[in-house]
Amino acid sequence: MATTKLKINGKEHAVDVDPSTPLLWVLRDHLNLVGTKYGCGVASCGACVVHLEGEAVRSCVTKVSRAAGKEVVTIEGLSENGDHPLQQAWEQVDVPQCGYCQSGQIMSAAVLLREIPNPTDEEIDLAMTGNICRCGTYLRIRKAIHLAAEIQNEIK
Amino acid sequence: MKSKTGQKEIRHSYKLTAALSVLAILMTLMVTISARSESAAFGSKDKEVFADQRKRDSVKSVEAFSKVYSVLISPRCVNCHPAGDVPLQGDDSHLHAMLPQRGKEGKGMLTMKCANCHQSENTRGPHTPPGNPNWHLPPADMKMVFEGKSASELAKQLMDPAQNGHKDMKALIAHADDALVLWGWEPGDGRTLPPLSHKEFKEAWITWLKNGAYAPEK
Amino acid sequence: MTEVKNNTGRRSFLKAALLAGGGMVLHFSWPAGSKAAAKKALETPEEWFELNSYIKIGENGIVSLFNPNPEFGQNVKTSLPMILAEELDIDWEQVVVEQADFYPERFGRQFTGGSQSVRGAWSPLRTAGATARQMLVLAAAAEWNVPASEISTESGTLLHQASGKKAGYGEFASAAAKIPVPKEVKLKAVNDFKIVGSSRSNVEVKNILTGKPLFGLDYKTEGMLIAMVVHPPAFGLCFKSMDDSVAKTMPGIKSIFTIDSLTEDIDQNFFDATSFTKFAVVVGNTTWEVLQAKKALKVEWEEEPERTFTMGGRKATFPAGLESTELHRAKMQELTKTPGNIARRDGDPERAFQAAAKILERTYTAPFLAHNAMEPVNCFAHVTADRAELYGPTQAPEFISGTLSERLGMPKEKILIRLARMGGGFGRRAYGHHLIEAAVISQYLQAPIKLVYTREDEMTAGIYRPTYSATYRAALDENNQLLAFHVKAGGIPESPLHANRFPAGAIDNYLAEGWQIPSNITVGAFRAPRSNFMAAAEQSFLDELAAEMGKDPIDFRLELLERAKTNPVGQRNDYDAARYAGVLELVRDKSNWKETPQGVHRGVSAYFCHNSYVAEIVDLVMKDDMPKVEKVVAAIDCGIVVNKDAAINMAEGAIVDGVGNALYGELPFKDGVPQKNNFTTYQLIRMNEAPKTIDVHFVQNEEAPTGMGEPPFAPVFAAVANALYRATGKRFYNQPFINELKSS
Repeated sequence: MATTKLKINGKEHAVDVDPSTPLLWVLRDHLNLVGTKYGCGVASCGACVVHLEGEAVRSCVTKVSRAAGKEVVTIEGLSENGDHPLQQAWEQVDVPQCGYCQSGQIMSAAVLLREIPNPTDEEIDLAMTGNICRCGTYLRIRKAIHLAAEIQNEIK
Repeated sequence: MKSKTGQKEIRHSYKLTAALSVLAILMTLMVTISARSESAAFGSKDKEVFADQRKRDSVKSVEAFSKVYSVLISPRCVNCHPAGDVPLQGDDSHLHAMLPQRGKEGKGMLTMKCANCHQSENTRGPHTPPGNPNWHLPPADMKMVFEGKSASELAKQLMDPAQNGHKDMKALIAHADDALVLWGWEPGDGRTLPPLSHKEFKEAWITWLKNGAYAPEK
Repeated sequence: MTEVKNNTGRRSFLKAALLAGGGMVLHFSWPAGSKAAAKKALETPEEWFELNSYIKIGENGIVSLFNPNPEFGQNVKTSLPMILAEELDIDWEQVVVEQADFYPERFGRQFTGGSQSVRGAWSPLRTAGATARQMLVLAAAAEWNVPASEISTESGTLLHQASGKKAGYGEFASAAAKIPVPKEVKLKAVNDFKIVGSSRSNVEVKNILTGKPLFGLDYKTEGMLIAMVVHPPAFGLCFKSMDDSVAKTMPGIKSIFTIDSLTEDIDQNFFDATSFTKFAVVVGNTTWEVLQAKKALKVEWEEEPERTFTMGGRKATFPAGLESTELHRAKMQELTKTPGNIARRDGDPERAFQAAAKILERTYTAPFLAHNAMEPVNCFAHVTADRAELYGPTQAPEFISGTLSERLGMPKEKILIRLARMGGGFGRRAYGHHLIEAAVISQYLQAPIKLVYTREDEMTAGIYRPTYSATYRAALDENNQLLAFHVKAGGIPESPLHANRFPAGAIDNYLAEGWQIPSNITVGAFRAPRSNFMAAAEQSFLDELAAEMGKDPIDFRLELLERAKTNPVGQRNDYDAARYAGVLELVRDKSNWKETPQGVHRGVSAYFCHNSYVAEIVDLVMKDDMPKVEKVVAAIDCGIVVNKDAAINMAEGAIVDGVGNALYGELPFKDGVPQKNNFTTYQLIRMNEAPKTIDVHFVQNEEAPTGMGEPPFAPVFAAVANALYRATGKRFYNQPFINELKSS
């Protein structure tokens, strides 16, 4: 056990855990930030994506020690009022079915939109093929990303 | 340039198990043909290594390269030297699931940068991401493709500074001990090792290089 | 308006309050209808007045509607309250939705599965809504001293036209709650619907998109421990012994022990599904700590002898042995050649086959499949001496509640099962073994625990779609006319045969046979059980048969349906031939069937299951020798569509799911061990493989709603296979098709 200092969604935390504990379980079990999901534990499904220094890391294989002192953003902190362009678009398109994978989908899409503000379908495929949606909402995710790009452009 | 020693060693390989006989025939062919092949090495720049030109031995070099080649095309090496822009995965070298892209720097792109999953060390357990602090593919402007390359093509490519990451002989020799190359021998749970030990590989690599870095004809 | 008998009672207590000894836990979602731009939580009323099991009205006019059924992404939490709101005649914007606990005395059948949620709830919920509305009208009539028949309602307002008197529902909620429940109520006419048939946003969407704790795995209480089980690595093995000397000393570990989740003396429900019944259990403070100790635990396994359980009063025997896919294939091939159990026989099929000028015979197979819902199996349980509370993902609390009661030695009324939103289900969560396991662990420890399966635990714990094989034969005369049709279908461990479905009823000489091979690999319902395979086999065969007869595949099906409509063979045909033909005609029109775009290969398929009719046309292209489904057009007849956009979403998802499973889905076995245990080896369809376009068209009619979750899934497989044939010139008989494509 060791104390690890974390900055999550702009807030400082100190957790007393084995430094090799994956960030996912620190978020879920220790900090009650359960929007980040466990799906496979082997970086294969994308349900656990969070932003570490702005990158879409898979928290299930990222040791908490790697996150020490760095900026972590989870779905809970993507926007203050749940109104990030992606969250607005997801709501308007009514993307979710079961909803379990959607926080990971949105966290991935946020990195895509930051790097390519107006992505094509092909670029969306490139960026989103790492996130599995077992309900098969892929068409709506594509549509919502295009819509989020529009909303983002309007804000700018 | 044909050497007695080389031929003896080739004959020795004939005596190995039946399973190796096909390979041995190929090697014999390579040696015969390589007698006419030109050194793939670049001479002037590597005076130190090639100061003693008498050390150049095409048969020995080509033979060593066949060992080197067996490692380079093993999944642990070829998987990150793909022909396309998507890395390969597994002992069957299938396209990496979720199709991460090489990106400009070879470090992935968008949501799938290598380090998003690949940590600074192997993640424990089967089918988990292997890791290294410098996990990456060759960059987009220097793809260093191994996949699908013949021994001859690969040898020439390795010796061509325009295709090998501008490495001179010294850098090439040092590359055998590169941390990411060494990862190939500690690849994590459930991954088969290259066909030679790192020691054997390094010996063969240096033997190939120091004997003139000859490319096999095929 | 339709007049109906009223069976909706009014009960003035809530089970949760009794059990928890405190107030009812309210799971409020955001106001149902509010726009994304102007999110404002509704004012919580100071007092609620309960009009019946489903409906409470606050003094301020806010209406709370209970969703009785478990939600697993089919959107019942929105669609079912829409039915209540329609008949209650309120604005959707005034509605909050609460998830009901399992409380069958209050809510009737609380089951998610078989595409029955809307179909089953349609009439009870309409009646409940109309009843509450009528009680409000009666209360106003008494107060205003006017005849009830002169009072109309609109958008949560009561109005007496003649006097101009007007009041919100909230003002009369208190009085209405005291009105005796009317014996008869009037239902709205279908063309007066304002909410049913519209598109309403998922009431939980905001919570999903902001990461609120909605799922079983997200649940946590004070002092709760994490429990994981270690189950045998192979079917046919069972627990022998364990060495916990290292594991028990690891950080955060509280206890390591074994449990028998079910014993042979318990009369199980058919859905209890006994893959494994003896587990090693590791309990500790946090998930990661327990996971580490679990890996350090050394368990020895031994071969399990044949087992017999009582299921639904009948003996069910599971053989011993370690099974492999190779062995399964050989056994199935053998049984396709031996006579099966005849399930239906019309005319004289044997003689017709003897007289045939030509016989087309084809065999189709499909592998075991894992459900792979995104949220792994889990369940919270807190069992004390006199009560038990469970919270977790389950499609069918009613199936497990009896066994749970028997196993815990506790009467049903002491057990509260609360229904978490499920991270997918696909049939997997109709099997409640995890509730039993969680409860038994908690009872042993006398502590609140959350049972968590890893992805690997779940994928290797059984309850799979069975492996199937079906052989179809058609007899043709010298003029290429169809004389007879024969299907022989079986599987391990169950037959997928539906003997009375199309094309039964359309062919004079017809024979249907089934067979099955026992196995210790546990199986269960998987989205459109049996239909998902029968549709694949039958609709592929009809496509090949049409080609053999030189007919257009849609025309050929329509000819058969015309026969079934005008002059059906036999009495027991399951389907309505006119509605079946209707979806084929609709999909033909909407897809421009005859005008296939350049480079596109088309396949058609249609199927009837779960009381609905679906026809689909797949547009497939080949890219680098690999198939890619670009577009799918679907025509669906599921009667009245309650929530249109949600229904389209579900159809899209079912189609994507079908394309994925048709191309990639398989779970092979070797020596009893499932050969895949995570998404790294079990290929699921991803974004880049999903179609670009899916056009969903509904047949407009006034039929009561029928299934939507499963019917659009079943036809996809054959539509893909038939498109692949047009792309490659080769027929595809064995799923997953990607294997056949690679081996060809």
